Amino acid sequence: MKMAKEHGMLVTYALGSCIGVCLYDAKIKLGAMVHIMLPLNMETGRTNTMKYADTGIRETIKRMESKGALRSRITAKIAGGAKMFAVSGGGALGNIGQRNIESVHMCLKRESVPILKEDVGGGLARTLLFDVSSGMGCVRCYGKPELII
Amino acid sequence: MAIQNYNELNSLELDALKEIGSIGTGNAATALSSMIGKQVRIEVPEVRIMGYNEAIEWIGGPEEITAGVLVRISGQISGIMLSVQQLDFVNLVLGSMLNKHVEDYDGLHEMECSALVEVGNIMISTFINALSGLSGISIELTVPAFTVDMQGAIMTVPMAEYGGQSDYIMTIGGDFVCEGKKTPCRLLLSPEIRSLNYLLGKLGVSSGR
Repeated sequence: MKMAKEHGMLVTYALGSCIGVCLYDAKIKLGAMVHIMLPLNMETGRTNTMKYADTGIRETIKRMESKGALRSRITAKIAGGAKMFAVSGGGALGNIGQRNIESVHMCLKRESVPILKEDVGGGLARTLLFDVSSGMGCVRCYGKPELII
Repeated sequence: MAIQNYNELNSLELDALKEIGSIGTGNAATALSSMIGKQVRIEVPEVRIMGYNEAIEWIGGPEEITAGVLVRISGQISGIMLSVQQLDFVNLVLGSMLNKHVEDYDGLHEMECSALVEVGNIMISTFINALSGLSGISIELTVPAFTVDMQGAIMTVPMAEYGGQSDYIMTIGGDFVCEGKKTPCRLLLSPEIRSLNYLLGKLGVSSGR
């Protein structure tokens, strides 16, 4: 999880089935980016809570609030959740991206954080950049023009 | 006692895995050599246990575009095996098999992709065959899947699959040297942790616990 205030660029590289969640309080220009790897934290005693959608998002919002963000002002932009390999026979492998997307949607809804824009699913990896001064997100993808979110 | 995390492996167990890597990669190199009709040597294979960021740095940066062939392992052990094919390797294969040269990954069409999948598949299968013969474990493989994308994202596939068990990834494999030129073809075996315990038990090196 990375956080920046007023200026700075938050970047997370090469999101495959993972999801980059940008949380932003526009009033005080506080932005945070968390890299979600898995949908649910089902482990006990895990030290790294940030890689799971449920605990990662909750913890990030908590840390933003301690820096002065107001929950009612926080908005989200998300990208990622691709299916990297089309494995025949399905299995959990192909579904992680989709499960991540669903879990992130659910967790943001539960925390009443609206999603302003998203670029999820598909079969290509993404690099997500988030400009804290403007609240603009940018998605970089192999073989495609950059997408502003 | 079984291990819970990759970094609990002791030096004896790591040596056993290195041996697996050595035999597997050796067999895969022989297969590659007969496919492309050139001499292929291997570098000393490594067993690496890495955190996510370290793994990305090791493979050469997150956004670098690369081709990857992935095969899922099931049967008595489960895991993922990846063949990461960087451009030098791609051209080595295409040059020898199809007499073609590509400047970048955009130059890969159906025929080229198919050749790369097959080479990856054969190398992976050979590796697994060697592993299976050595340990007496029966292993099944899925049909290979192929992608061209940022290598950071390709590496996250095994990480996400086993991320719930560990914050680390274990890779067994090595580089090839063809005609005196080091060609970074990386064969990576990422076993699931329980399977790793089973494998070590079968190899008779986990008795000290």
